Amino acid sequence: MVMQNKVAGAVMGALLAAAGLMPASAGAQAAGAQAYPTKPIRLIVAFPAGGSTDIIARLVGQRLGEKLGQQVIVDNRGGAGGTIGTEIAAQATPDGHTLTMGTTSTHVIAPAAYAKVNYDPVKDFEPITLVASTPYLLVLNPGVKANNLKEFVALAKSQPGKLNFASAGTGSTTQLAMEMLNRAAGMDIVHIPYNGNGPAGAAVLGGQVQALFGSMPAVLPHAQAGRLRAIAVGTSKRSPALPNVPTVAESGYPGFEVSLWLGFFAPKGTPKPVLAKLQTELTAIANSPDMKAQFEKNGASAVTNTPAEMGQLMKSELDKYGKVIKAAGIVLK
Amino acid sequence: MESFTSLLPNLALGFQTAVSLQNLTYCFIGVFVGTLVGVLPGIGPLAAIAMLLPATFNLPPVGALIMLAGIYYGTQYGGSTTSILVNLPGESASVVTCIDGYQMAKNGRAGPALAIAAIGSFFAGTVGTILIALFGPPLAEIALKFGAPEYFSLMSMGLIASAVLASGSMMKAIAMIFLGLLFGIVGTDVNSGMSRFTFGMSGLADGLSFVVVAMGLFGFGEILSNLEKGQEVSSRELLTKKIDHLYPTWQDLKLSIGPILRGTSIGAFFGTLPGAGPTISAFSSYALEKKMAKHPEEFGKGAIQGVAGPEAANNAAAQCAFIPTLTLGIPGSGTMALILGALTIQGIAPGPQVMTQRPELFWGLIASMWIGNAMLVILNLPLIGLWVKLLSVPYRILFPSIMVFMAIGVYSVNNLDLDIYMTVFFGLMGYVFVKLKCEPAPLILAFVLGPLMEENLRRALLISRGDPTVFFTRPISAVFLGLTILLLVVMILPNIRKKRDVAFREPDAA
Repeated sequence: MVMQNKVAGAVMGALLAAAGLMPASAGAQAAGAQAYPTKPIRLIVAFPAGGSTDIIARLVGQRLGEKLGQQVIVDNRGGAGGTIGTEIAAQATPDGHTLTMGTTSTHVIAPAAYAKVNYDPVKDFEPITLVASTPYLLVLNPGVKANNLKEFVALAKSQPGKLNFASAGTGSTTQLAMEMLNRAAGMDIVHIPYNGNGPAGAAVLGGQVQALFGSMPAVLPHAQAGRLRAIAVGTSKRSPALPNVPTVAESGYPGFEVSLWLGFFAPKGTPKPVLAKLQTELTAIANSPDMKAQFEKNGASAVTNTPAEMGQLMKSELDKYGKVIKAAGIVLK
Repeated sequence: MESFTSLLPNLALGFQTAVSLQNLTYCFIGVFVGTLVGVLPGIGPLAAIAMLLPATFNLPPVGALIMLAGIYYGTQYGGSTTSILVNLPGESASVVTCIDGYQMAKNGRAGPALAIAAIGSFFAGTVGTILIALFGPPLAEIALKFGAPEYFSLMSMGLIASAVLASGSMMKAIAMIFLGLLFGIVGTDVNSGMSRFTFGMSGLADGLSFVVVAMGLFGFGEILSNLEKGQEVSSRELLTKKIDHLYPTWQDLKLSIGPILRGTSIGAFFGTLPGAGPTISAFSSYALEKKMAKHPEEFGKGAIQGVAGPEAANNAAAQCAFIPTLTLGIPGSGTMALILGALTIQGIAPGPQVMTQRPELFWGLIASMWIGNAMLVILNLPLIGLWVKLLSVPYRILFPSIMVFMAIGVYSVNNLDLDIYMTVFFGLMGYVFVKLKCEPAPLILAFVLGPLMEENLRRALLISRGDPTVFFTRPISAVFLGLTILLLVVMILPNIRKKRDVAFREPDAA
C-alpha cells in the first residue's frame, strides 16, 4: 500500500524507550565531559525502520551506547521525505541526549527542494561527524544496447527524449544524481518517479524503464546476479564491491561526484565538551575494523571528519544540489 | 522440469532447518505473539512487525526470519478475528471479511465464521507454500512483466468490482467510491511532489493512514450507532443468545469448499504482484462468490462464502507476497520491506542470490511457513470458544476498552496525535454513514486503490509520452480493461437489470 510505505517505525521507538528504562550498564564515567551522558540517548532517524539510514544508525548507535555506558535508543520518525523527524531533532533540548542521523536527503536536498521546511540545516544543528557514505550505482536493464557510460550517452543522444530513468521519488537523491548526469553529459533522459527504491528497482529489472542511478545497497545484488548491468559508480573512487566498474568521473566527466552521506548532528547549542566527546567516540567507532566490515556488507563505506569539515561539506553540497534542483525545476510544497 | 527434480532435496533441507527445536520455538513465539498483537484493534502486520523487529536483531538469521514470518501470519489471523467479532479490520484486506463475518457474528455464528476463516487460511497457506517451492522464481518473472499500464488496468477493474461489495443501493455505493477516491488524494503527489489537501499539516504529507480511516469508519462508527440503540434492543443480545454451535456444520463446510478453492487461486495470482495483492484478491474473491452464489441476496447478511473465499484469497496472497521478496529482493508491501530490512541487518543482501547462496535460509523459511500456518490453526481453533465468550462482555466494559486500544493502535503507527483526532473525525463520519445506510467498504477500497491507480495512470502516460493507446496495445493491460468493460456492461445493461437488482440491491438490507 502506498500509504503504508511510510511504515510504522515509530512504534518501535516507543518499545525501545521502554527497553531504555531498564538499568543500563552504568559504565564508570570519566570526570571529563561532566558525567555526560546522564540518561539514555535518543537517536532520531527520520526514516522508517529497516531502511539503509536506519540500519547504519542502529549499527553505530548500539556501539556508541556501549562506549558511553548509556543506551542509545533509535527513534524512527519517518515521513515527508525525512523532514518530520529532522524537525523534531532541531527542536529537541540541546544537551546531547538527543541526536539525529542526518543525511544528504535531510540536510541538503529537503531544505533546498521543499518550498517550506521548518528547520535550517546549518543554523539549527551542530554537525558532529560523518560516519558513512553510500555510493550511487548507474544500472541499466540488460536489454539496453550500451555496455559502458560512453555508449549509453551516445545511445541517449541518438534518440533524445526517448529513454527513461526511474527514481525513488520526486526530489529523491536517485533523481538528482541522474539529473546531474543528464546535465553533465548533455543527455535528455526522462524522469519517471516511483514510490521508493524497491519499486524503482523492479521497474528497471522488468524493463519498464531503461536506467536507474540507484543507491548501492538497493541495486548491488541485482548487478552481481547479472540481472542489471552496472556501468558506472557516482563516487570519486571505484567501489571495492565492484572493482571492474569505472567511476563516472573516469568515464569522461571529471569532477562528477554524487553519494549519500550519513552523519551525526546535535541540536544547536549542545555544549562543546559534549560534542567533542561524541566526535571522538563516533570517529573511533566508524573507523574500527569490524564496523568498517559491517558497513561494507551494507554497501556503505566508513567516512569521518571534523565539525568544521562537515560545515564545509554542507555548504558545497547545498550549492551543488541547489543548482540541479533549480535547473530541474523541482519545488516540493 | 528442473524445479520438480530439485524440489524434494530442497524441501528436505528446508524441513531439516525448520524442524530444529530452536527454529520451531522461534516459529511458535512468532505466531503466538503475532496472534496476540493482531487481535488488538488498530495494530496490523505492519505495525506489529515494526514494533517487534528489534527483538529479532540478535537472533541467528534463519531464526529471525522464521519468527518475523510467524508474526506476519499471526497478525493476519488476529486481524480476521477482530474483523469478525467487533467489525475492526486490522488492515485493508480484512475489510472484506468484516462485511459478512461481522454479520455472521451478529447472527450468533461467530464460531463458524472464525473456524472457516482459520481453515480457509490454512488451506490457502498450504497451497501458497507449495507454489513458492515449485514456481517461485518463474512467478516472480511474471510479476516483473507488470508495468504501469497493467497496474492501472488491474486497479480499474478492482474499482468497478468494488461496487459489488455494497448490498444496499448502487447509487450510494458509487457515491462512497468517489468519496474514497477523494480521501485517497490527500498527501504528496508522486509526480510533482506537491501536497494536496494537507492544509499545511506535515502529518498529512504522506496521506491519510489506512488505520485511521478504517478504525474510524468501521470501529468508532459501529460503536456510536450501537450506543444509540440502548442495551435491550442491541445486537449484543443476539450475539449471546443465539449461539448454537461453535464450529461449522457440514452444510457450512460444503458451502465453503468452492469459495476456498477459488479464493486460493485468486490470491495466489494477485499475491505475486507487488502492490495491493491481498486487498485486491480478497474483494475479487468476494465479488466472484457473490456472482456465483445461488442466493446472492444472502451476501452482506452473513453468508459464510463471503468469509471463506476472501479469507483464503487474502492468506494465499500474503503467502505469495514472499515470492518477489525472496526471489528478487523486491518488497511488495511495507511489511515485506521491513522483513527485507531485517535480512539486511543480519548481513544478508536480499536479492536473487539468497536462494543459491543461502539455501538453508530460503528453504527453511518456506518450510516454516507451512509449519507456522499449521501452528496457527492448532492455536486458534481451541481459542474460538474464548473469543466468542469475549462477546458476552457487557457493552459498558467492552466499548471503552475497544476505544482505548484503538486509540493506542492508531497513535502507535506514527506517534502523531493528529491521527487520533482524524480517527474521531472518521468515526463521526462513520456514524452518519450508518444513519444514511451507506456502506463503508466501497469507500475504503477506493481509498486504497485510488492512489495506486492514479500513480500508475500518470506513470504509464509519462512513459508513453502521453499516448493513451498503451492501455490497449499491451496485452495484459488490454485483457484487464476488457474485463472492466464487461463488468460495467453487466452492471449497466437494462436487460440484466433483474439480475443486477438481486446482485447489488436488497432494499433495507442494513
